[in-house]
Amino acid sequence: MKRRSIGAGNLLFDVFVYLVMFFVLFCCLVPFLYMLAVSFSGRKPLVNGEVFLWPKEFTLDSYKQIFTYPNFFRAYGNTFLYAIAGTAIALVMTSLMAYPLSKKNLWGNRFFTKMVVVTMFFSGGLIPNYLLINTLRLAGTRFAILIPFAINSFNLIILINFFRSIPEEIEEAALIDGLGYFSILWRIVMPLSTAAVATIGLYYAVFFWNDWFNSLLYLRSDQYPVMMILRNIVNGTMVIGTGEGASEKTTIAISIKSAVIITSTVPIVVVYPFLQRFFVKGITIGGVKG
Amino acid sequence: MKRFLKTCLLLVLMAAMALGLCPGTVVAEDAPIEVSIWYSDNPTLPFMDSWLALNTTAEIAGLDVTVEAIPSTDFATRVSPALNTGMNLPDVILYQNTQGENASLALNGRIVPISDYSEWTPHFNAMVEKLGLQEEVDQLKLQDGKRYFMPQLFDKPFYDGGLIMRQDYLEQKGFDAPKTFDDLYEILKAYKEDYPDSYPLTHLVAPYVTYRMTMPSWGVSFGKSSSSGTGALSYDYEKGEYFTGAISDQAREYLRFIHKLYAEGLLDPEQAAPIDNDTWATKMATGASMATYAYYDQIGGVEHASEIEGFKLQMYPSLEGPAGAHHQPKSKTGKGILFPIETASRPDFEQLVRAIDEMFFSEECSTIWCLGVEGVTYTMDGDTIVYPEEITSSPDGIYKTLQVKYGCGADPLQLVWINEREMTKYDENYAQINKTVAAMEGGNVIQSIPPTPLFDDWTAEDANSLQTPLADSIWIWMDAFVTGAKSLETDWDEYVNEMKALQIDELCALYNEHLPK
Repeated sequence: MKRRSIGAGNLLFDVFVYLVMFFVLFCCLVPFLYMLAVSFSGRKPLVNGEVFLWPKEFTLDSYKQIFTYPNFFRAYGNTFLYAIAGTAIALVMTSLMAYPLSKKNLWGNRFFTKMVVVTMFFSGGLIPNYLLINTLRLAGTRFAILIPFAINSFNLIILINFFRSIPEEIEEAALIDGLGYFSILWRIVMPLSTAAVATIGLYYAVFFWNDWFNSLLYLRSDQYPVMMILRNIVNGTMVIGTGEGASEKTTIAISIKSAVIITSTVPIVVVYPFLQRFFVKGITIGGVKG
Repeated sequence: MKRFLKTCLLLVLMAAMALGLCPGTVVAEDAPIEVSIWYSDNPTLPFMDSWLALNTTAEIAGLDVTVEAIPSTDFATRVSPALNTGMNLPDVILYQNTQGENASLALNGRIVPISDYSEWTPHFNAMVEKLGLQEEVDQLKLQDGKRYFMPQLFDKPFYDGGLIMRQDYLEQKGFDAPKTFDDLYEILKAYKEDYPDSYPLTHLVAPYVTYRMTMPSWGVSFGKSSSSGTGALSYDYEKGEYFTGAISDQAREYLRFIHKLYAEGLLDPEQAAPIDNDTWATKMATGASMATYAYYDQIGGVEHASEIEGFKLQMYPSLEGPAGAHHQPKSKTGKGILFPIETASRPDFEQLVRAIDEMFFSEECSTIWCLGVEGVTYTMDGDTIVYPEEITSSPDGIYKTLQVKYGCGADPLQLVWINEREMTKYDENYAQINKTVAAMEGGNVIQSIPPTPLFDDWTAEDANSLQTPLADSIWIWMDAFVTGAKSLETDWDEYVNEMKALQIDELCALYNEHLPK
């Protein structure tokens, strides 16, 4: 096999591209590695400013403090539940709304689409939302997190645009073959839309994973997601002057913060590479064809 | 079929009547009263429903308690919409007062005026009388003359933070413990000479922590985190009225002193808040600074982390300034128990209030909230409290161990604080410093928080609209005076005129006009 010859100019350009990429990689990795090192380092080297990219006086104290927090693992389980169930419900609901709105011949299509857009600019506000969710008797149940946030306007518009990009002829052929609209959506449109669905699925998963504010307002403490606990731990390490007597033990805030960041981001970081190819494709298609 | 149903119904009715007449049903009346409570959960002592103090006091009071532990940093966010809408509320909310939004909610009927039910709170009343706090408690009444919560009660405020310095350096250089701000200046200057790269006095969190702890020795308290809460006004304890502290001569003198420290490189130039806690610890532990205004509980951590030979920190009593030796003012009452108005519609409201009163304010229960249960967490040797080995040898210290393991001393739950009893939980050094401070200035080193004016909704809005621009502007000017960007000699009049243009005098008049009589 004959190797392609590379000119000096091209080689130089490749070297430049690699250098830039390594620089970007370095900029992204260093803070993460620093946090990792800090989260595993002992108190003395941290206070004396001796830690950079490698842990010193290796310890798991910060992780121990997080993992031994009462109900930590139950909260982590809750987070997985909200992220998985919430995303599944949201994908179903969003698809069911996006599909009819993607049909230009649907009566009132423009009106309903405009109403969706309006909600992107004007929200009900905290108190009306609070009243609504309580009146629907959702407060104190897990559904308070799963149902009210099932359709996000931005994600809906991405999906509407993607559905519009699917050739109408495919659906017409299916109609002629005797499929109903639900079957068309399930058997034809959804399999053709994996890129867009994966994209908004990731958006929803990240939202449900990170959301703490709605949990604070509507859930009981045994239903809290882990973000509530992590947030409380981080803020708690910044509290000063509680009037306690001096003790030998002390908590280094940055060590706890780093451990919290690692603990809370690792699951999403692990999932992201598997969805990334869909993610990029979905964004491009949704945007261009809109 | 109909006949069968009728017979069944009759049997059920007869059984119900028989049970109703049966003496055994009295058990239902003795059953614990179910109560839901919202608790502000501090992550340094995460709530556990197995806490000995909680379960013992609930049992004594005859309550079946369900506690909702809400993160402390978001507690206000959770409480506010619930109180505003009256939806998804508990029977009792802990760690509340009637400042800010709650005052308005109370005056608009969203909170039970607990002072109207005084006869149902005998333990609280007795404790207030025993600690001599009637005047302080009366100051918590709102404009309608009613009090809407049962506050925490302190017999004496704690000296839990103040000047913290390197004792090893003082001993090495032969300095006595500082008594005045001039002494402090001399020590800082000596350290700067020995370590020219250092900034001997540093701030914890922000400069305002230093300012609020030192200003009272000049007779003022202004700027961010001032004791009046206005940022502009200070309180004259002798005259019993507010004055325009931020533009007073005392303020000018104070700023001269701070500017002198700054100009000579004795004060940490890092002014932007928040200064990271870890950065502060690093500065102290590495010797980049040797003095700070901070809290006693932070000494141990820094001492154990420092690699400097013989490194030792000590907290010192308040230093004497032109107006005496004073620390930041503190209140003898704190946040406490609040009942949402919906709770008053419970048929057993009276029993509930009585039980809550007993659970938190009775002699027996308030002792349990402080020390735990006798024979388990402590024993008495005559009048001396003795803690078991398991608690005294804990690396967390007695106080923290009692908090985390048993729930004693958790701020929202312990509502009666007797200084002498509390000091048995701290190390001897801390107790000794508190004793020294209590003996200074006729026991008045820590003055009371100035009284809150009795504003209605509209006046509060007026005061707020005057206060916000003043506070912002004062903070900018203070910064400029300290750093030397503005001169205390040539620019002072311009500053005063600006504050007058922003109606500092009107704000002061408004406050004095509405002071509780």
